[in-house]
Amino acid sequence: MFKLEPRQDASLWTSLRSILIALAITAVVSVLVMVVMSDKPAEAIWQLLSFPWQGRRMEVQFGLVAQQTAYLAIIAIGLSVGFKANVWNIGAEGQFAIGSVGAYLGYLILGSPEGAWALPLILLAGVIGGCLWALIPAALRVTSNTNELLTSLMLVYVASHLLTYLCIGPWKGDPKAGQAETFPMPESIRPETLINGTEFHTGLIILFVAFIVLAAILLFTLLGFRLRVAQHTPRAERFAGFSPDNTVWLSFLISGATAGLAGAVYLTAETGKLIQAENYLENFGFAAIVIAFLGRLHPIGILLAAFLISYVNVGASYVQASLGVDDSVADLIEVTALFAFLSTAMLDQYRVRWHTGSAKTSQAMS
Amino acid sequence: MTPETITFLMKLLGAAILLATPLLLAALGELVVEKSGVLNLGVEGMMLIGALFGYIAAYNLQTINCLEELIPGFCQKEERFFTLTDYLMALCAAALAGALLAAVFGFLTQGLRSNHVAVGLGLSILGAGLSNSLGSNFFGVNYTSVQVADHPAVFGQDLLVWFSLLAVPAIWYVLQRTRTGLVIRAVGENHDSAYALGYNVPKIRFYCILFGGAMAGLAGAFIVLVHVDWKEGVTVGKGWLALALILFGTWKPLRVLCGAYIFGLLWASELRFDNLFPSWQLEWKTALTMAPYVFTILVLVIISRNPRMIRQSAPASLGKLFNPPS
Repeated sequence: MFKLEPRQDASLWTSLRSILIALAITAVVSVLVMVVMSDKPAEAIWQLLSFPWQGRRMEVQFGLVAQQTAYLAIIAIGLSVGFKANVWNIGAEGQFAIGSVGAYLGYLILGSPEGAWALPLILLAGVIGGCLWALIPAALRVTSNTNELLTSLMLVYVASHLLTYLCIGPWKGDPKAGQAETFPMPESIRPETLINGTEFHTGLIILFVAFIVLAAILLFTLLGFRLRVAQHTPRAERFAGFSPDNTVWLSFLISGATAGLAGAVYLTAETGKLIQAENYLENFGFAAIVIAFLGRLHPIGILLAAFLISYVNVGASYVQASLGVDDSVADLIEVTALFAFLSTAMLDQYRVRWHTGSAKTSQAMS
Repeated sequence: MTPETITFLMKLLGAAILLATPLLLAALGELVVEKSGVLNLGVEGMMLIGALFGYIAAYNLQTINCLEELIPGFCQKEERFFTLTDYLMALCAAALAGALLAAVFGFLTQGLRSNHVAVGLGLSILGAGLSNSLGSNFFGVNYTSVQVADHPAVFGQDLLVWFSLLAVPAIWYVLQRTRTGLVIRAVGENHDSAYALGYNVPKIRFYCILFGGAMAGLAGAFIVLVHVDWKEGVTVGKGWLALALILFGTWKPLRVLCGAYIFGLLWASELRFDNLFPSWQLEWKTALTMAPYVFTILVLVIISRNPRMIRQSAPASLGKLFNPPS
């Protein structure tokens, strides 16, 4: 078996190498998964890799990928702030839902406007909604020392039931619709489609700009430095005069704002109306947690991870349509990638020593 | 008390048992895991995978004949009497599936020293995603067509109900009165001292994690075999409630039992509001489904406001990374 030894020479190269090893493991296991699940594995793998250039127009396929990437990346970068500082907000799904609710509430408060000027205000209302929802677990953590991981998650269930309640009750729209939903927003205030027939719309640009701004703040400002200190040495954080309570507030504020923005953009651009939770929420908030860890909590890593996972997701549904390989392949690849990345993270800090011979094996295990 | 009230209360208790048993099973498994100093947040994922595999096993045991060879595209399911052995086999499948997923967690956290919280969260999220996609591929989108036969009952209740109730004193006894339990607690309180005494910390923790996974798998199986049919996210957050229950019970099996039944009763009475207030509108009933989750948050706040209670009973090495001195 093997034994782990602390490594003295940890450097950029060692982390890069462990990422490459994780990618290699993921690739090998993905190929194995394809061989098991498909009759024509070679063709399935080829189609999964090259699907944008097959069949339909390339812009359409890349539009789908960009759409998923945008939502996943913006939520994940918000979550990464807290994860770095050991603040566990896993309720982004709920903040996403309340972001949508806030945006719709803003739309109603503005008196159901028709002009495009209302869009920024509606998005702002969504951001505020997400923030307020995220501040509940933060306040409970700071005042009552409550485990924020459990409370933020419980609030996901509360938020999704609240969404359904609003669609059934006070904001009930067309009663003839097959599902509980509100009245749709007018086309005139919704983000414009940039290329006809694709998912590229101005909402995605807003999300990507927000992502870049937040990434710049985290990488190049004192605030970002402060959070990095909190990650590596919590004690030094206190000595430097940064309060842990403020870190909790800040982490939840940022992650709530990003999830709320994503929810507001999703409402205005994709659906245009609130729908009961089961048909509205697409688990972006939970998938973003995986993306944050795949990206090693680094903005560039998060963007790459969000793109790759979205690419595999869209590709898997294409392969399902063309070759009948079911799209749980995408989930399996995602599982493999996450565990490969988490398990190789220790290679940054440890060296693996392999032992041969049975006597040594038992010693190494004990 | 009128006979109607008594029947109503009996029905309420019956429903409470159905809701409390999976909570209790999962929480007891996780209790042992946390006592050994490991925080496994993957309970929800293990429950869902256990539920799916228990359901698939029961479904396959029940429907054996398929006439696809005779008429292409037509599958006639011939129902077979569902015996106790079949039931136990389905439970074994569920426990095994849960334990397998837990083994992945154990290998990553104990063998490769990955972050407990990250791997546990991953387990929960991916367990949910995987059970959804595998489940919809196995049963098709229309889940309602699948019917698993009645489970065999013992003394009017399901076998697992008695098992979960017996597990409470058993786990208390093992943890508090046996040598094994002492070793588990030692590993959880101070892994460095336990290591210095010659105990194989990762190995002991790994076995505890396997036990927790098997219990979570059983909890999932109970939900789909006894309570409701399989559907996406059938556990509705019960795995996370089980985690909250351990805080509620401050790592003591008997208090966990009480907590599970309090939750069960509350949940059951909330579901029975239909009968009590038939005039209530659908929207109010929807709003009321939030109640168990809001209640959990309130309980957590009340418990955590007393930090001494948490600090005195929480295993001291809970969730901390173990680096053996080499």
